[in-house]
Amino acid sequence: MTTQLRRMPWATALVGVALGLMLSMQFKVQRQVALADLAAVQRTEELVAQLASAEALRDELAAEVEFLRQQQLISVKTQNEYQALAERLEQAQIHAGLLPLQGPGVTVVMADSVLPATPGENANNFIIHDEDVLRVINELQAAGAEAIAINGQRVTGRTEIRCTGPVVTINGVRTAPPLNIVAIGNPDELERAITMKGGVAESLRYWGIQVSVKKEAVVRVPAYTARLRLDYAQPILEEVAP
Amino acid sequence: MWIIIVGFIAGILIGILSPFTLPVAYARYLSIAVLAALDTTFGGLRASLEGTYDNTIFITGFFTNVLLAAGLVYLGDRIGVENLYLAGVVAMGIRMFQNLGIIRRLVLQRWGFFQRDEETLSHHGLQD
Repeated sequence: MTTQLRRMPWATALVGVALGLMLSMQFKVQRQVALADLAAVQRTEELVAQLASAEALRDELAAEVEFLRQQQLISVKTQNEYQALAERLEQAQIHAGLLPLQGPGVTVVMADSVLPATPGENANNFIIHDEDVLRVINELQAAGAEAIAINGQRVTGRTEIRCTGPVVTINGVRTAPPLNIVAIGNPDELERAITMKGGVAESLRYWGIQVSVKKEAVVRVPAYTARLRLDYAQPILEEVAP
Repeated sequence: MWIIIVGFIAGILIGILSPFTLPVAYARYLSIAVLAALDTTFGGLRASLEGTYDNTIFITGFFTNVLLAAGLVYLGDRIGVENLYLAGVVAMGIRMFQNLGIIRRLVLQRWGFFQRDEETLSHHGLQD
């Protein structure tokens, strides 16, 4: 061995250098990978905490906005000279969904399927999707519902209803089934719109998704509390002017 | 023998002290290459204890095995069999354990802790 080593000492040394270099480099890289993983986890936790506190603050401020809006209406109403203006403001706020409303109507409860999904079947068919909610809302609107809220989120012209992973986002707020939909309107018509033969409740029942409708003497619909500011739209004033 | 150990220590020092680190994207190639290098080194150690060591074979084997192992990972990535490197890991892992077992026996035997046992040696193909 020694005699052979003497023949190519540099090549042999190179083997040692290569082995040492590769080993130490690999240790360094792996430590870097581990640190990067740790940083990603910490970053995620940080962001989740930030999101939670931002959401809490948003809910707090939304409640304050609603309170101030009612105060404004009350204070304007108490001054006689602004009576007509106050009534128009109230009407506008009702149509914009900015005031909580009450009246006769229905509550519709949608819950995920209780059927056991047999192997080979797509489990997606057995949970509530944004489309199912939209169909129910659409039927209620068609039957003349005057105000609709889903799990405390008022449905207005700017409301989005979309699936975000396993939950449904409405007005930027994540909510999960069972979905409690309240609608103000003629209770009989609203109920028939959902339960009619070949209607939305029947087709969803095929997948085991439960849709139950209950007529109510008084239901309460909360005010719209999500984003109101318009960044792009401008009123066209010259057409309004006489 | 000593020249390899000196080179090994020098390589570790260069690796630790150099500010350069391999991009993480190449970590998979390097890890398999390291495994191949260790495998070849143990093979060389075994051969030297058996007295069949050949320097040329060892040096060429070391570098070709390292390159082949990294090439296997690359090939796997290219043809969509990303777990192809597992073939290398299994083959080299098994051989490393076999070689280490034989090295242990040979060292013990050399120090007189282990009776020369023709049956065991022939089982490993170690008759001389």
